[in-house]
Amino acid sequence: MKDDLRPEDAPTEIYDALGRARFFADPGMDRFVAVVMNLAQEVWVQEERLLALEEDKGAAPADREAKLKAFIDRVFEPVRGA
Amino acid sequence: MTLALNHPMNPDKTPEELARGRFVSGIRSLILNDLAGDLKTAYDKRAAPAFRKREGREPVSSRDAHMALRGDPAFNIYSAMRVQAQKMVWASVGDSVARESDKLAAEAAKVSNQPGSVTLNPNLEVPRNVSAIDVHLMPGSYTRGDDSLEAGAIYDRGLAVFSMGLMGANLDDIGLSMAKYIALRYPDFQPQRILDTGCTIGHNTLPWKQTYPEAEVIAIDAAPGGLVYGSARAKMQGLEVHFQQMCADSLDFPDASFDMVWSSMFLHELSKKTRAAAFAEAFRVLKPGGLMLHMELPPNGEMSAFDGFYLDWDSYYNEEPFYKGYRDESPPELCARAGFAKQNYFQFVVPSVGIYGEQAIADMVDSDQAEAVGQATTGRLAEGVMWFGYGAWKQ
Repeated sequence: MKDDLRPEDAPTEIYDALGRARFFADPGMDRFVAVVMNLAQEVWVQEERLLALEEDKGAAPADREAKLKAFIDRVFEPVRGA
Repeated sequence: MTLALNHPMNPDKTPEELARGRFVSGIRSLILNDLAGDLKTAYDKRAAPAFRKREGREPVSSRDAHMALRGDPAFNIYSAMRVQAQKMVWASVGDSVARESDKLAAEAAKVSNQPGSVTLNPNLEVPRNVSAIDVHLMPGSYTRGDDSLEAGAIYDRGLAVFSMGLMGANLDDIGLSMAKYIALRYPDFQPQRILDTGCTIGHNTLPWKQTYPEAEVIAIDAAPGGLVYGSARAKMQGLEVHFQQMCADSLDFPDASFDMVWSSMFLHELSKKTRAAAFAEAFRVLKPGGLMLHMELPPNGEMSAFDGFYLDWDSYYNEEPFYKGYRDESPPELCARAGFAKQNYFQFVVPSVGIYGEQAIADMVDSDQAEAVGQATTGRLAEGVMWFGYGAWKQ
């Protein structure tokens, strides 16, 4: 974020040298969270491809929304109640 | 769920894009429901007590809550995931917009002769709060692709993912709900000329034309691309709206030339100085008896420290730098400073018409419950989907 377009009362330490928000003491953790989310998305894309293949082979149509919720709940369970 | 837009510029998504969009909606649901709940628990049990011990007083403001939460594990994970999820919203639609640029242009060309217009002003310098930052982490902001259809398509498709189906079939639930409320609450008010300021793609402009079909509806925004897209989008829905590139703080309209000036989720994008000028301009162009109406985030004055910061989070971490400054202001005072008499101010919350139906709004009007604005009925932590609005009549 550009310096003159930051909130007036924003503490300087909440951004890194490039103006990006940072949350963890180790800035690598902020990036690692993004990597995990990207990876989970890629796995989900593959899961939907498999579901489509199974349906082509005669399996009953899957409830993708319900499966996705279960998938996300499973993968991200360790961050609950932080 | 990801909304399928109900107009011809809805993307033909590949299976992979569908899966990506679905994931983004799902992860946002986890963050905004489950992790937000964890954040509140952490605030109550850990962050606020630590603040009290450290400062010798209760956290009473949004800023206090922010400082209390910084560094808390629940805040860190909620925030880091929310930032990334926001980036994923826009990333999930970028490919389809690039791939379908020819299709978008062809669809827009099909309706080019329909009633309605778009007028750009190449001499207008787009303000830096629009052009110099990636507003709500949207790459290229509203000026992406200049006056092409790109920025509008990114915004339309991205909002469909972002909204998780809670903002209406055409992302118009705010406008539809507000227009229904005004029509029922003030049945004698029949505006003939309506101005929407900061309209982006006009998604919440169209409901006013639907509600008052005889009215001339004009919609302005500083960024050209959204207007070009919005004009085509309006024509596709058979609604005559005239889009013009213009800034709300410098209206190129005569005094007393509108019956209504409206905005939705716009005022928090403006600096304090620009916002005050926009209010003054609204007052100037309204006719006597005219109505200024804004749908916006509820003010911090109506909320606890935690709930206030929960909304203000966007100001610090979602490239919405004026969000908190706006929410710290008092809507009645903003109206009064612009010239509106204090007794002509009103505020209300209205239930989503798409979720609860028209009868729910009618019931609110009949019972006067809509004007009972407070923490229980506003903001993201309120029960259900409710929109906060306020306005003032010009004498």
